[in-house]
Amino acid sequence: MTLNLCVLTPNRIVWDSEVTEIILSTNSGQIGVLPNHAPIATAVDIGILRIRLKDQWLTMALMGGFARIGNNEITVLVNDAEKGSDIDPQEAQQTLEIAEANLSKAEGKRQTIEANLALRRARTRVEAINTIS
Amino acid sequence: MAMAALRREGRRLAPLISPQPITAARSSLISEEQVPVGVRSISTQVVRNRMKSVKNIQKITKAMKMVAASKLRAIQTRAENSRGLWQPFTALLGDTPSVDVKKNVIITVSSDKGLCGGINSTAVKVSRALHKLNSGPDKESKYAILGEKAKAQLVRDSKKEIVISITELQKNPLNYTQVSVLADDTLKNVEYDALRIIFNKFNSVVSFLPTLSTVLSPEIVEREAEAGGKIGDLDSYEIEGGETKSEVLQNLVEFQFSCVLFNAVLENACSEQGARMSAMDSSSRNAGDMLDRLTLTYNRTRQASITTELIEIISGAAALEG
Repeated sequence: MTLNLCVLTPNRIVWDSEVTEIILSTNSGQIGVLPNHAPIATAVDIGILRIRLKDQWLTMALMGGFARIGNNEITVLVNDAEKGSDIDPQEAQQTLEIAEANLSKAEGKRQTIEANLALRRARTRVEAINTIS
Repeated sequence: MAMAALRREGRRLAPLISPQPITAARSSLISEEQVPVGVRSISTQVVRNRMKSVKNIQKITKAMKMVAASKLRAIQTRAENSRGLWQPFTALLGDTPSVDVKKNVIITVSSDKGLCGGINSTAVKVSRALHKLNSGPDKESKYAILGEKAKAQLVRDSKKEIVISITELQKNPLNYTQVSVLADDTLKNVEYDALRIIFNKFNSVVSFLPTLSTVLSPEIVEREAEAGGKIGDLDSYEIEGGETKSEVLQNLVEFQFSCVLFNAVLENACSEQGARMSAMDSSSRNAGDMLDRLTLTYNRTRQASITTELIEIISGAAALEG
């Protein structure tokens, strides 16, 4: 009995196949999903999705959205998603540095919030690469 | 050379001799009838000018059709990819157009440019019908308009009901961030119980059907879930990740709205290009037909004028001799 995982973004389908286990980060922490999980609808935070295929772990950086888990079907709808293998380490590191610089320069509540979000996104991407290698 | 000179003479004399039949002949040319026999022929110049302009129109419409076809190809794959986006929401929350609510907001998606067949008028017609359906004693509905064409039509009779209108959507290529900002703007300005999005769904290159998508507000979703409608599916899921169920529901509904709106805008753009393709195709075909008819008239006119000149020359020569 394997789980069927579907990761969708507005522009394309990022992942659509069977997996053995996933670890998803939500607003209230990380949850692990194995086959025959109870039905759950949850919000997904900006963070990493870990996918296990047989014995290999893959990471994907998710940028916030929703997940629906029910009778061995997982649907994750996010604003954007990138496979860890698709992210360029140099570029991700640079984006992180730029985001940190922006945060220190931000003025006003709105800019600070946006800079925070950008920073979290950049950090997620860097973590996604680091976890594989 | 001599013939040409005589022909020119004939043309200069013609207006002096018989002005009346000339105008009759000219109007008959416009109504595509037979030139009355025995009249000094109309100048072939008129017919030739008309043929030139019809040919230019045909070239332009053919070019527009090809442009629309290439734009359609580009945007069609994106529309199909975005279809999978709102299906989980429908599975979870249900798409129930028949839920009775007090405050409706009708979101009409239309195009900015014209020459795209009847898709904008059908969308506006459906919006108006929906508005009438939803305006009862304690129900009310307001419009939020995307696109110049629907705005032009709806501003005429429902100006007070328009909450927000957004144009020039397609200046930059459509992407999700832009649409989610639009969705945010709309939600900020209006309180609603149900959002009804009307757009033209792209089924194939020749078929575009006006479609209605409903997004219900979180309070209504909760009410329906308790009443056990089709949205009862939501209860079988345990809600996690967030402080309260209603907060999660709120986020869910906003996300659903922006996804559904994104899909609606893409589908409408596809339908617009498809409709423009078929409209331009039929107009170039009509131009071709008109060109054929004009060519026949041109040849007839030309032959008639040659014949009359020959007759003149011959009768003149005969008069000189005899």
